[in-house]
Amino acid sequence: MQLAYYPGCSLHASSELYDVQCKMVFGNLGIELKEIADWNCCGATAAAKTDDFLAIALPARNLGIADATGLSEIVIPCSSCYSRTLVSQQRLSCDPELKAAINAELGSKVEGAIKVSNILEVLKPRVASGEMAEKAKKKLEGLKPACYYGCLLTRFPCDVTVTDDVENPQGMEIICRSLGADPVDWSYKTDCCGASASVNDAEQSLLLMSRIMKDAEARGANCYVTTCPLCQFNVDAYQEQVAQKYGLEKRLPVYFITELIGIAMGFDAVGMQVDRHFVDAMGLLKELKLI
Amino acid sequence: MSAKTLQYEAEGAQILLRGIMDKSGQNLLACYQCRRCAAGCPVGEETGVTPDRLIRLILLGDREEALNNLLVWKCVACYTCGTRCPNNIQTARITETLKQIAKEEHLEPLRPRIADFHSAFMKAAGHMGRFNEIEGMGIYEVKTAVKELKKGNVGAVIEEMKNQAKLGMKMMKKKRMHFKVDKVKNRTEIKALYRKAKAEKGA
Ligand code: SF4
Ligand code: SF4
Ligand code: SF4
Ligand code: SF4
Repeated sequence: MQLAYYPGCSLHASSELYDVQCKMVFGNLGIELKEIADWNCCGATAAAKTDDFLAIALPARNLGIADATGLSEIVIPCSSCYSRTLVSQQRLSCDPELKAAINAELGSKVEGAIKVSNILEVLKPRVASGEMAEKAKKKLEGLKPACYYGCLLTRFPCDVTVTDDVENPQGMEIICRSLGADPVDWSYKTDCCGASASVNDAEQSLLLMSRIMKDAEARGANCYVTTCPLCQFNVDAYQEQVAQKYGLEKRLPVYFITELIGIAMGFDAVGMQVDRHFVDAMGLLKELKLI
Repeated sequence: MSAKTLQYEAEGAQILLRGIMDKSGQNLLACYQCRRCAAGCPVGEETGVTPDRLIRLILLGDREEALNNLLVWKCVACYTCGTRCPNNIQTARITETLKQIAKEEHLEPLRPRIADFHSAFMKAAGHMGRFNEIEGMGIYEVKTAVKELKKGNVGAVIEEMKNQAKLGMKMMKKKRMHFKVDKVKNRTEIKALYRKAKAEKGA
């Protein structure tokens, strides 16, 4: 089957590995990702903070392009892009005036027909159907991930259908367990890492991350797993700094969910760019004889 | 917060409240000060002003304090307060609104770096249609550096450059840095949306 696909800017830049992995894993599950043509940046939180119109209009342009593909569903792996796009679609469905104003500027008009999905919405049913198990060649024994959801997969600034439990989501745990990993139970799975505060309000962001990391360590996790490139980048790239400032003992690799699925499927780790993490992500896999 | 006495002035308070309610789409009048929002706000300890306090400041018509407190700038838009609020009030939408009002009125932000970051992001995203990390960070760093230099804070600029260089080096080593410029072909459409956004603000 085919799904429309919106990578977003970070999957074309610092988180290219996530783009590569998504295509490999989805492909193996028989899903072809069709990247929508000429997409633009969704505006992320910056648009919401500076300009109410652009916050809706930028994702709207992408929605128009996605509607024009005629496909029924679009998958958006980045939590921030997913959130902004879903919010835009919801806003436009209840504000015909705004929709008309935006559509007046667009070649491909937004209809609002396409279903906007996050990555777990697409992957979870493949666990239940047995397709995931069918493709998995290895059991991820010994892996104890702290599944980190961050903010934007379950909390929204307006009324949209939330696809998992708001305070205690389980999507990643379900996938990890089905692959033989043993995810830890912990309290900070939906806490905020500070997003761009790591750049513009560093002390604050380091404090937020320290709370998350302390809990993961105390619960005995040996790695993190996430679906969001921004969460991944923050917890990975700033981990050393947080660890030094707040006295953490361990350094834990921060995997994308697609990395763990890919390893279980028997893909080559370097082919998936697992060697491009800041905290070494190859060592643990070798130690557990998963690669 | 300062211990000043506030003269409640009904008309001014109404104008402030209506303006913020309209723009943010949040019903501030529904707040009954239960403080569930405050309990979950990850930056509350540092900001002092928690979502419930911010709403109270607006209801009391304290315009100056409402626009000039740390929560407005440090809110990380995690949506925890709004998800837990029994009355569905999204304070992140209120802080976003207050930031925009502050900008429209040319007030100096309490945390200029945060404001500069978001405007640099929008500039870069608008320029090519896609956000290029090097371009966006470049605009932001120059903006911040110029401001610090004007204040004579050479040390702060050097420190910032060191930190950014360190991160940059790490990214290079891990092949996470991308030099290819990613862009939208139909940039006329993006420009049109940015133009319309400007017009909407003027209206
Ligand atoms: S959220 Fe970030 S990665 Fe996603 S499109 Fe927007 S700017 Fe790009
Ligand atoms: S945890 Fe951080 S990066 Fe992830 S969604 Fe929340 S703010 Fe964004
Ligand atoms: S949770 Fe809602 S009702 Fe309670 S104090 Fe906060 S904003 Fe007001
Ligand atoms: S959205 Fe802002 S105000 Fe609300 S809990 Fe998060 S940081 Fe606090």
